[in-house]
Amino acid sequence: MSSGLDKNQLAAVLQVLKKYNLKGTEESLRKEANFSEDIADQDSDVSSVLTGYKSDGDPDTYVLSYMELKRFVENSLDIYKHELGMILYPVLVHMYLELVYNGHSDEAVTLMRKFGPEQDFYYQDDLRKLAMVTRREHMNGNELTDTFKSNQFIIRMSRDTLSLLKRHLSDKKASVLLNIVQEHLYFDMYEGVARNKTQIDATSGAVGGEARRQDNKTKVYYGIPKVPDIQILSAPVDEEEDNQDNQDNPDKPKKKKSKKDPLLSKKTKSDPNAPPNDRIPVPDLKDNDKIEKLKALREASKRVNLTTDNLPSCCCYTLLNANHSVCCAEITEDSSMLAVGFNDSIIKVFTLVPQKLKAMKSADKLSDVNIEAEDVLVRMMDERSGESSRALCGHNGSVYSVAFSPDRTLLLSCSEDTTIRLWSLQIWTCLVVFKGHLFPVWDVKFSPHGYYFASTSYDRTARLWATDQHQPLRIFAGHFSDVDCVQFHPNANYIATGSSDRRVCLWDLTTGNHVRLMTGHKRPIQTLAFSVCGRFLASAGTDCRVLIWDLSHGHLVAELTGHEKTIHCLAFSRCGNVLVSGGLDCTVKLWNFTKLTEETSSEDVNISHNPDVKTGDTYLVRTFQTKNSPLINLHFTRRNLMIAVAVFDGMAT
Amino acid sequence: MSKVNESDLYGTNFSIESIKVMAESIGINSLQDEAAKDLAEDISFRLKHVVQDAAKFMNHSKRIKLLQSDVDAALRVRNVEPQYGFYSNEPLPFRFASGGGRELHFIEEKEVDLGDLLNNLNPKAPLEVSLRSHWLCIDGIQPTIPENPPPVAKAVQKLESVDPINKKPMKETAGKPSTGKQKLKNVETVQIKQLATHELSVEQQLYYKEITEACVGSDEARRAEALQSLSSDPGLHEMLPRMCTFIIEGVRVNVVQNNLALLIYLMRMVKALLDNQSLYLEKYLHELIPSVTTCIVSKQLCMRPELDNHWALRDFASRLMSQICKNFNTSTNNIQTRITRMFTNALSNDKIALSSLYGALQGLSELGPEVTRIFILPRIRMIGMKIESHLEGNLISNNDRTAAGHIKQLLVKIIAPVLKSIRNAPDNLEDYKQDYGYMGISLHGAVVKARTQPTPVSTLAASVPTNTITPVGQTVARTMTSSGIIQQGNPQRTIVMSQQPQRIATQQNQQQKVLFMNQRSQPSSSLQQFSQSNAPTTTVVKLVSGSQVSNQPKFIQSQPTKLVMVSNPGGFSQQSPGTQTQSNIVKPNFIVHKNIEDFSDLG
Repeated sequence: MSSGLDKNQLAAVLQVLKKYNLKGTEESLRKEANFSEDIADQDSDVSSVLTGYKSDGDPDTYVLSYMELKRFVENSLDIYKHELGMILYPVLVHMYLELVYNGHSDEAVTLMRKFGPEQDFYYQDDLRKLAMVTRREHMNGNELTDTFKSNQFIIRMSRDTLSLLKRHLSDKKASVLLNIVQEHLYFDMYEGVARNKTQIDATSGAVGGEARRQDNKTKVYYGIPKVPDIQILSAPVDEEEDNQDNQDNPDKPKKKKSKKDPLLSKKTKSDPNAPPNDRIPVPDLKDNDKIEKLKALREASKRVNLTTDNLPSCCCYTLLNANHSVCCAEITEDSSMLAVGFNDSIIKVFTLVPQKLKAMKSADKLSDVNIEAEDVLVRMMDERSGESSRALCGHNGSVYSVAFSPDRTLLLSCSEDTTIRLWSLQIWTCLVVFKGHLFPVWDVKFSPHGYYFASTSYDRTARLWATDQHQPLRIFAGHFSDVDCVQFHPNANYIATGSSDRRVCLWDLTTGNHVRLMTGHKRPIQTLAFSVCGRFLASAGTDCRVLIWDLSHGHLVAELTGHEKTIHCLAFSRCGNVLVSGGLDCTVKLWNFTKLTEETSSEDVNISHNPDVKTGDTYLVRTFQTKNSPLINLHFTRRNLMIAVAVFDGMAT
Repeated sequence: MSKVNESDLYGTNFSIESIKVMAESIGINSLQDEAAKDLAEDISFRLKHVVQDAAKFMNHSKRIKLLQSDVDAALRVRNVEPQYGFYSNEPLPFRFASGGGRELHFIEEKEVDLGDLLNNLNPKAPLEVSLRSHWLCIDGIQPTIPENPPPVAKAVQKLESVDPINKKPMKETAGKPSTGKQKLKNVETVQIKQLATHELSVEQQLYYKEITEACVGSDEARRAEALQSLSSDPGLHEMLPRMCTFIIEGVRVNVVQNNLALLIYLMRMVKALLDNQSLYLEKYLHELIPSVTTCIVSKQLCMRPELDNHWALRDFASRLMSQICKNFNTSTNNIQTRITRMFTNALSNDKIALSSLYGALQGLSELGPEVTRIFILPRIRMIGMKIESHLEGNLISNNDRTAAGHIKQLLVKIIAPVLKSIRNAPDNLEDYKQDYGYMGISLHGAVVKARTQPTPVSTLAASVPTNTITPVGQTVARTMTSSGIIQQGNPQRTIVMSQQPQRIATQQNQQQKVLFMNQRSQPSSSLQQFSQSNAPTTTVVKLVSGSQVSNQPKFIQSQPTKLVMVSNPGGFSQQSPGTQTQSNIVKPNFIVHKNIEDFSDLG
């Protein structure tokens, strides 16, 4: 170990300590190492150790060594060519950053001008962002350069290809190249044949490279657990227990179900992939919830199963006079209410059924209500207060997402003002303001069972909250860029997040770890939807494609193309046979999901390899165009009627 | 795969000159080149960063248009004070100017009249966001209702009419199952031109029957509904040939029988079809134009020419013709040229009946002041001589006297503005007599009067209190929406007339020609459902006077979401001698620019 390097490293450590104001530690380390203040003043050396960009090598050699690498890739055998080609982009990026960091802006620009445009189309966005950075100061706090600096770019490569590459690198002794490959690239080696261009393109495009095999090894309980029987008859329920929301109460007393109701008796046998019922603690169901569940089951029995011969009807709700002012819309599970978030901080709730939106009676009048009465919930509402729409004011910025609680008494909203608010839909006021995110909150979703909810933000984290805790229960960090959308798995044990780093991630709520990491999107992801069976995840966004992922291994199954502009909403029919997508191109597309899953399950799955991705529009069943009205939400009612929410854009005509 | 070139990659930076100009604007006069270069680089970087962030906010607002608010939000995220004062309700387009070797993009800043703001005590509140539901599809099939886009886009209809080979034999498109399996591989296909079938479904036949019956029936309310349907429903293109045949045959029969009412109804059908944004009528013009022409120049259109107002039908049909010219004239079909030639030939004909002469003149005048100047003005002496004999003579039938009177009135109306612009003051009566013969005296009077009128202001200056007209606002607006032909001789017409003095008053006292009217939504139309609130919707009516009227109406943007502007189709002044001198020659234009109506009307 050379003493120079040692000193540099020591200085770097000291600087970090200084930065975080850990004086005691700093001093004792200084004393121990016999390290005086004046030696530490070689600023540039120190920070280069911190960032990993050392200033060695002549700036002129970069172009040459890149060209040499390129030539090597092009001249290699066809089967290895494409896999080897994968290293060109990260090498170019790091060469550029090194040059910029060491003050050779002109050389950096020349390098980028020369080789930037020939990179794959899905890297161009990032290259453009990088090209903005032409000086070292610009790298400070820059999201993208930070990501490249502090994370290794992951490349999956077959054993043969990798050994070929290694041999080349050791032969050439090209120090610049070797350094970059060692410091900033991570090769995830696999046994088998090298992949071709289509296979590579399918899964590349994310900011940090592809997902490692390690990332997708954990078992995921993607099944849907057997629904615990619902007690319909008003058996004595402990009111006290309801208050202890957090308490784990897994063992539902399995009461004899009433034989009269055949709905409840026909339950399929439990799914082998389902998580145990007590994996996530959930508060007990109240009487009211049980009645609601029962109602839902009854409705579901009247459901029409959709097939290609039996397509859904779609009712479209168009918001008028709302040019460019609507940010989001959400419909309750029972399709009775619609909440719309506006960019002027207001949330509006519309009723979609004849029942008006009523408020609770005032306190003194509430005391007159007979608590023992069967219909106490109805009685406590003020009949005269019914309105067809109500506004909720409180936010101080655009409302980017709204979510109803499953029992329809609560509404969550998140906003540019960095807060999440919980509103009561009985007294129509704000109940809680959840502060925690320091930057605009993009998305919020309620868990399917209520109580928990998840949010995602500009601050690159997703968080899990409970309605009765003012601080997050879990913080899911790991995305390299904004987390744009979140979705709860139907079994409420996982959440999926989609991010501007073009990766979809599945997080386990109990451990807080990511259990699936899926790459393949080429642009930010805007919306996610889990299939009804829980095994598949659909994601879509700015790249105008819907990608279907198999959660059992984290593989990309299909790529549905056809949209022309950003897709903002996805929904599965209640029977799970149809997937619908809608977006800014004013079209709703119906996809045949049954066909897709049948074809998928008939194939034998190689765990380490992504199967061939099904592409094209062979699964497209129908396209419906709206009249200048971009779609912002899609929903299926319990009976499988499709509901679309669109905003009429009067300016476009 | 988008091809990217290197200029894309680096975009543009501020030039050193720009930075220096900016520095000067804040009082730093001598900025070093070095400093300016450094600043330019850094500012460009920061700006790009802000824009990049703003795009995130745009995406999450589910838009593809970057707004000022997005930039503000991006600045807030970086703890930078947002830029205040850049908020605008209306889109602000960049204007471009060049000169002196410099090119400049700028945003036009309009001058705001404070008086305006002060007078307008109750600025209009923005429209309430409302929810409207409709069926996007039923069992997988998209119904053709006004809320859905037309099944065959206008562009496709156009392509079909221009190049029929392109017509796909009922291609399975939206709303129909995709039949991928039917495609057989490796089978040699022989292209056989499909016979064009015009089979209508039972529903379509029923619709056709209902519509045609309503259009020529006696129930006015039903007719209004039927015309509304014709002018707004998408998906009528399959029935279009039938509709056209109906109109053509109808005109043929009723001209012979001199049935004025039916002719009017048929012309209103043509108008409705022309107004339908989802139809492409070019294929049927060769049939429609002769019918419309018939209604303009036919010798006799009614049983009692001395009593019935067949002039209105001629006026209306002329306006239709000019609308056809405007919409469909191309360099290949030369519609306008051919129509102009046809009318001009009629003028040159010595034996032409007076009613036909009137029609030809009206038809020409509707094509614009330029046409009037070139084709009517040189013949004015001749026409003058012709009508003089009818007006001044003694042995002339009453019928001809009325006709000649109408022609005289029309000539004064259309020629005066042209003369005003081509002749210079002072106007000498003798010169006029010399140049224009019999018409000289009346024209002189009209031109002199026109000159004393204040020059019209083309852009909106201020608003007039609305209450003067409000009580009859609805009828006025109705008259105009239905193109001023229904109410011939019925009481509503008089109501319109009674407004005349007030309008003159406003014109003389102030420099504005703007009337606000309250117009209730038409009760019969389906649009009513659109707005949940029953509040009266306000109509802005703009009357433009003067000769230099352009064909393009200018938009008045008093409020961005809703605006109705009407250029008076000349119907107001036509029958009132007192207002003749106003010389309101205006192209008939009616533009409805309203969020709600757009939705159901436009394609």
